[in-house]
Amino acid sequence: MDASQSVLLALLADARLPTGAHTQSAGLEPALRSGLPAASVPAYLAARLRTVCVVEAGTAVVARHLSLAGGRARDLVAVETAWAARTPSPALRANARMLGRGYVRLLHRLWPAAGDDPRWRATRPVVLGLIAARSGLDAVNTARLVGYDDAQTVAAAMLKLAPLDPLVTTSWVLAARPLIEALADRVAHLTRPGEIPACGAPLIEQWAQDHDHTTERLFRA
Amino acid sequence: MSTIAVAPAPGRARCRLVAGALSPRVLHADDGGARVALVATGALLLGGDEVRIDVEVAPGGWLEVVETAGTVAYDAGGTPSGWHVRARLGEGARLSWCGLPLVVADGAHVRRSTELTLAARARALLRETLVFGRVGETGGVLRAVTRATLDGADLLVEDLDLGPAARRSPGVLGERRVLDTTLALGWRPVEVPAGHRYDLDGPGAFVRYLGADTHSGTGPALAATSWRADLDLP
Repeated sequence: MDASQSVLLALLADARLPTGAHTQSAGLEPALRSGLPAASVPAYLAARLRTVCVVEAGTAVVARHLSLAGGRARDLVAVETAWAARTPSPALRANARMLGRGYVRLLHRLWPAAGDDPRWRATRPVVLGLIAARSGLDAVNTARLVGYDDAQTVAAAMLKLAPLDPLVTTSWVLAARPLIEALADRVAHLTRPGEIPACGAPLIEQWAQDHDHTTERLFRA
Repeated sequence: MSTIAVAPAPGRARCRLVAGALSPRVLHADDGGARVALVATGALLLGGDEVRIDVEVAPGGWLEVVETAGTVAYDAGGTPSGWHVRARLGEGARLSWCGLPLVVADGAHVRRSTELTLAARARALLRETLVFGRVGETGGVLRAVTRATLDGADLLVEDLDLGPAARRSPGVLGERRVLDTTLALGWRPVEVPAGHRYDLDGPGAFVRYLGADTHSGTGPALAATSWRADLDLP
């Protein structure tokens, strides 16, 4: 990996990035509440990397590609439509769009372009794709970023939800490396909205809906 | 391949029916459309079977497909089989297809695909009940792909890898054996007081039940009955 890629990836994957990562548990909070045993959390993390994360990563990669190919606003709208059709849970769509606002601020401040509209709204993976395009992050690293971020979100949330040695949760993320690579291999070459994978996870979606109606919660999603 | 094509015509709708592994029979018809039963012409679903059903509803027409029996995908020692539905709805056309359960027995390896193309103002109501294993079984391999477009744009795309290991992952199905879904495409249907409801980003919604058996989830059944009224079928 060339040096510019390494620092970019580290920066965008850093939990200190001001994009609201602390509000997220990658669905872990409702999963535990519905009875997922702590011992199954690594399998949960793996299941996400095979399903919902593939949709997110595919969306970011295609948004990046179309943006670099001189994409106009309506190309990104088509990516957003494809993502939304592959994200049946309204709670998950609302959450990703809320996160998207933070990423839009990041994009407009750090990688501005003529004609940027501060009122522009899009889902997180679409904005992430645009950030990747403007900052120079390549397609494979864009997909890795989505996978890594998700795994790390599960691991970090676990520490707040169940008492555990932080070295244990960190080891989960490291152990997920082959799955993150497999995810990146699966989506890095995608160029069209219709090609975005649609791997669903019905229970993750159901838990997200339940969580949306819960008043006592640590994490937004 | 089985074909059901319906087009409105003065007096009585024109129905083009072609029998394949499933034979279509008209139960009722008027000038706008028809209610058609699908009857299996032999044992289904065996290893190597590729069932294809092509449906077309012309602009302004209606079609209600009725299944007479559920389907068991039998132990095929892992030999793949398929169940593929393709439906095209013209402008303002209406389709109701509340299917009966597909039971995926041990040793079955099924690929199921449902492709729906809706023109503007078309509406489709579908029910899909997937059951893993007969009594005492854990069930075989299933991949279920649904792709619905409305006026050229993706409305719902879902690709479920429901092989035994993948579906038992936490967050997919876990230990649940039944995935029961009633799906409305082309409009936003009323709430029903049971099951988990998912409003799509575009006009559409589904109610889904994940559970241990087909009779404890009432949401999809309620939705199928209640939402059918919105199709204004005779």
